[in-house]
Amino acid sequence: MNKKLYLAVIWGLGGSMTGEAESAVDLFNSPVAAIGSPAVAAEGNAAAAEIKAPEPVASVTPVAADNKMVADNKPEAAEINAAQTTKSKLWSYQPVKAPAEPALNNKTWVRTPIDAFVLAPLEAKGLTPSPDADRAAFVRRATLDAWGVIPTPEEVTGFVNDTSPEAYEKLADRLLASPKYGERQARRWLDLARYADSTGFQNDNTRPNMWRYRDYVINAFNQDKPYSRFIQEQLAGDELWPDNQEALIATGYMAHFPDNHNSRDLVQRKYQITTDITDTVGKVFLGQTVECARCHNHKFDKISQKDYYSLQAFFANLSAVDNIPVAKKGEAERNYEAALAKWQEATKEIRDKQKAIIDTVREPALKHHKERYLTDSREAIFKPNSEWNAQDRWLNHRLAHVTDERSLAAYLEDVTESKGNHKDYSPEVVAKWAEYDKLTEELKKFKDLKPASGSSEISAMTELGHADAPPSYVLFGGDHERKLDEVQPAFPEAITDEKPLIKPTAFSSGRRTALANWIASSTNPLTARVFVNRVWEQYFGRGIVETVSDFGKAGQKPTNPELLDYLADNFIKQGWSVKKLHRDILLSSAYRQSSAYREDVAKADPENKLLAVFPRKRLEAEQIRDSLLVASGKLEDKLGGPSVFPPVPANLGAGNQWEVSKDAHDFNRRSLYVFTRRSVPYPLLESFNMASAQEAHSKREVTTSPLQSLTLFNSDVVFEWSQALAGRVINEAGNDEPAQLDRLYQILFSRKASDSEKNILQKFLNNHEKVVREKTAEGKFAVSIPTGLKGNQKLDPIRAAAFVDLVHTVTNSNEFIYRF
Amino acid sequence: MNNQSRRDFLLKTGYGLGGLALSGLVPGAGFSGGGFLSSAMAADLVDPLTPKQPHFPGKVKSVIWLHQHGAPSTLDLYDYKPELVKLAGQEVPASFLKGIKTSTQGGLGKLYASNRTWKQYGQSGAWFSDLVPNIAQHADNIAFIKSSVTVGATHDISILKLNSGGLNPGRPSLGAWVQYALGSANPDLPAYVVLYNGKKEPSGGAVNWSAGFLPAVYQGTAFRSGKSPILYLERPELTAASQQNDNLKLLKQLNELKGLAYPEDTELQARIRAYDLAERMQTSAPEAVDLSKESDATKALYGLNDEITKEYGTNLLRARRLVERGVRFIQVVTGPVDIDGDDRDWDAHTKLEENHGKHAKIVDKPIAGLLTDLKSLGLLDSTLVVWTSEFGRTSWGESGTGRDHNAWGYTQWLAGGGVKAGTTYGSTDEIGLQVADKSQAVDTYDLHATVLNQMGLDHLKLIYKYQGRSERPTVVYGKVIKELIA
Repeated sequence: MNKKLYLAVIWGLGGSMTGEAESAVDLFNSPVAAIGSPAVAAEGNAAAAEIKAPEPVASVTPVAADNKMVADNKPEAAEINAAQTTKSKLWSYQPVKAPAEPALNNKTWVRTPIDAFVLAPLEAKGLTPSPDADRAAFVRRATLDAWGVIPTPEEVTGFVNDTSPEAYEKLADRLLASPKYGERQARRWLDLARYADSTGFQNDNTRPNMWRYRDYVINAFNQDKPYSRFIQEQLAGDELWPDNQEALIATGYMAHFPDNHNSRDLVQRKYQITTDITDTVGKVFLGQTVECARCHNHKFDKISQKDYYSLQAFFANLSAVDNIPVAKKGEAERNYEAALAKWQEATKEIRDKQKAIIDTVREPALKHHKERYLTDSREAIFKPNSEWNAQDRWLNHRLAHVTDERSLAAYLEDVTESKGNHKDYSPEVVAKWAEYDKLTEELKKFKDLKPASGSSEISAMTELGHADAPPSYVLFGGDHERKLDEVQPAFPEAITDEKPLIKPTAFSSGRRTALANWIASSTNPLTARVFVNRVWEQYFGRGIVETVSDFGKAGQKPTNPELLDYLADNFIKQGWSVKKLHRDILLSSAYRQSSAYREDVAKADPENKLLAVFPRKRLEAEQIRDSLLVASGKLEDKLGGPSVFPPVPANLGAGNQWEVSKDAHDFNRRSLYVFTRRSVPYPLLESFNMASAQEAHSKREVTTSPLQSLTLFNSDVVFEWSQALAGRVINEAGNDEPAQLDRLYQILFSRKASDSEKNILQKFLNNHEKVVREKTAEGKFAVSIPTGLKGNQKLDPIRAAAFVDLVHTVTNSNEFIYRF
Repeated sequence: MNNQSRRDFLLKTGYGLGGLALSGLVPGAGFSGGGFLSSAMAADLVDPLTPKQPHFPGKVKSVIWLHQHGAPSTLDLYDYKPELVKLAGQEVPASFLKGIKTSTQGGLGKLYASNRTWKQYGQSGAWFSDLVPNIAQHADNIAFIKSSVTVGATHDISILKLNSGGLNPGRPSLGAWVQYALGSANPDLPAYVVLYNGKKEPSGGAVNWSAGFLPAVYQGTAFRSGKSPILYLERPELTAASQQNDNLKLLKQLNELKGLAYPEDTELQARIRAYDLAERMQTSAPEAVDLSKESDATKALYGLNDEITKEYGTNLLRARRLVERGVRFIQVVTGPVDIDGDDRDWDAHTKLEENHGKHAKIVDKPIAGLLTDLKSLGLLDSTLVVWTSEFGRTSWGESGTGRDHNAWGYTQWLAGGGVKAGTTYGSTDEIGLQVADKSQAVDTYDLHATVLNQMGLDHLKLIYKYQGRSERPTVVYGKVIKELIA
């Protein structure tokens, strides 16, 4: 058992490979919708027997070396050695070349090679770089960039007082070693994966397994998984490491396409899903706007429609499978199953009765359901299994994927409501529907028992155990009903002459392995450039190529091509280590510069493209919320797990799309654990330019609007955090007001308050105390006081309320919302 | 502020490269002169919603987008088909089905006629069914599009397309484009507001008023029912106005102090101004939706005195008040109503009589009231009212008592500024299934192009550069339907 391939077992291929029969997931008769989503969990399954989960694989250790099939597909075996020649002269398609280190005047500024490349153009322009930022500002900056939260005052003083020559190295290593690093980096990758916990469109169903992919990404960054391997796992983990659950979860990258389960046009759905995946891959890994070539040849880049559909062909056989049992159950699975079992037990009788009703009409009901699909979908649906081609197989799997017991009950409803017009209409059907409907109402009473989040299954993208793929065509005007020439999987000709090396496996076409290996190859001119540029953008607010997802002709050219190539080349040389890339940047003089305004720079380089000054940056939505949580001392520091639903304003109107978590600990988790409901962006983050999960989100824009001010100033939740922060300040600083102000500034800004600030704040307190007192004199006695106070603090409630307002106001200030 | 720092500001506040400024919304206007930039220079530049000039003088200042959610059967409201009544109960003749893909659930139903009576109204003699007797009174204010078409057999896709032009999520909604193009005429209110019925947001939620790839500041703001229409509009529970006022003064002081070190930093300055605006919005938004000063006669006009019409009427009266306050785009979405125990929108696969009976009653009087009110206030000339839905319904029956989705021929209408009132453009075939003359088909892109045209915007020139591609509201399609324009 241990040696069996995890996927092979699931697809029931165990027998074909080892001579033993194995139980397997029945892909075509076990509707995923019925088992994948807690909302419909255990309502039985539509067309056939109970799901028989395969015996969990006990181990996910690497496959035995004697397994030929897998060995053939190991990335090393497929490593491409041939030098690539390129047809287009576009700069980004040329091979990455290690640039020579430039000659410089001020060599002492150069701490890492990065600095040499930054300094050269500055010297050419007669500019000097800025002096180092003071240490406190630096540690706040670096912690926000690496972790996504502000540092504690202790972390700040620890660094400021570190007199050892390796203080900066120690800081960088400490930051990169913390799991918080993975959480922060994962968030930006999830933007690119269009990560969501729901399907989008009108129904916006929950996708209960996606958090496993989120955790996979966090772990990948924390373990410093080589970026090349990270790519291969996400694009072809199922083909390359079929025994490895992590690799299967990684394919969730492709599973985040927006979807509408009730679509009646399965053929169109397949096309749209494939389009979404292709466009995302092109944009994210290659920095190419390939989607521009879907309807016509690319207007700027030498990417033809043929290239585009050849790229789509790599994904032609790819299906979403949401019911793969978790091999090794952990706490999350056990908790979920225990909760689900309670609901199942409580509702067993009702569900059995419903199933019994459906059983009496299962056949006509399934036929009725199938008839709702449009002409070309129906052709595949009503074909006997023996006649299915690869496309039919895809469509029928999709049908099973979206069919649940309720879809069959629709037959009873529709026939009943026809009031005699349907040929099957009879008093019995009417009675059955009435009974079924009544049972559904009864079932609703147990809603609260159901686990709102979590799962014990995996969502992955695989090829359903088959190696033959449906044909792909160039489509006239991008219309899937207007097929032109058939195409085979191929890389864009303008980028490479190389041809994909496709070796089908027993359970998959092998196409994506070929694609993943090409993308992850050290000779691919785009992959490393695109990634290092994204990381650079995170630190400096602007990419070396400003259009981070467009390295094509219409995109911006690199402001510093040598720097870009140095970073890319070095990244590959360092084994695609993302942490080493971050470390190099963190330790550079370029990153250490002060952000103080310089008139000479403003004149000579007004957009600061040359980076003679460090660019200050507004915090991203999650950095704001998570830092407020850290400041208030309320952050729930737990890594990973199912997504959570913190409270939302009462007038949001999200209904059952946002059922607030029952466990109050969930309220204060880091923002990347907040459930991503595509139709209900979490309001606290929304106005601060959080990523839209509708498609790959390349850049966090900065816009400034009054809605942001309203959110931060008026949200009861934020205000409560300010009360907690006020309490923390008093606990830590005692009753001395100047000491309190210093402590507040240390927590929020990593520095003490200046005399002029103290002066302003002290004056405010004195006056504000009167304002609060006047309010209470009007008969409104309740005031907001600091919370979480320890010991017997003797506070004047009026003065304390004034202090809460002070704290709340300071958290709203520019210095908090920016990192300088 | 010099040109370079202004450019820096524009980049950072979201216009981005190739945004309006660089794409030359005002022909010939460079960075340093003419058009909206000079007004922007004069005004506070620190606001991405600064009002901007259209491409050419627009006919209207505001759009009210009346989305009939769930897709009404326009065959039972406006598109009178005597032939369908005659053929009711028979199979659909094959000739009518040419070129369309259908579902066959329950067998492709027989042709179906609902229990309607039809009358002609006004000078134009337009037909209206007994379901919309009040809207019928405005026959001569309306320009019908009886040849509407779209894509998609499900609400999901077609609603997305109706609002954003995309078949997948990710494109900006029409209102977002308008806000991006024209900015805000009233800084104290969002320029793009969404109103909906019911306690819940329309299905699909924020995607329906998303900014897509445009900067988030251009997305629609959903107004909630009740006194406080915007999330986080009200102060924290125990904070008095005087306290907040004092807090804001401190905030300004602190921000200005910090700003001394960054004298050229317009983004930091923008944040100071945003708090001023937010404070004003706290008063102006509740005031905008407060109907207490409206006369009883006005309220009655919108049906506020009747439980059935009260909620939708309230939204439409709010819409009129928002128009008066310079809001550019108001998207009003109908909500569900109880049909035989289920909450249903216009989506009458069954029980069409009851469904449309109720829904028509909910919207008929308020919409007629809105048109009457706008006209009497002299606002109809500067406002465009669009009655729209994601698709229509089939000529054949479904389950015997309803109709299925029809993307091949249905009716929408326009009323207001610059519209050729009292006309009809296009028609469907004899049974109301498909557009009769395909050259007259009006797709959602054409509707968008026409609406933008009325606002003085050329849909081909309204460009936002996104990932190297020049994106426009109508994707790669769209034409202005000149026949609808006076």
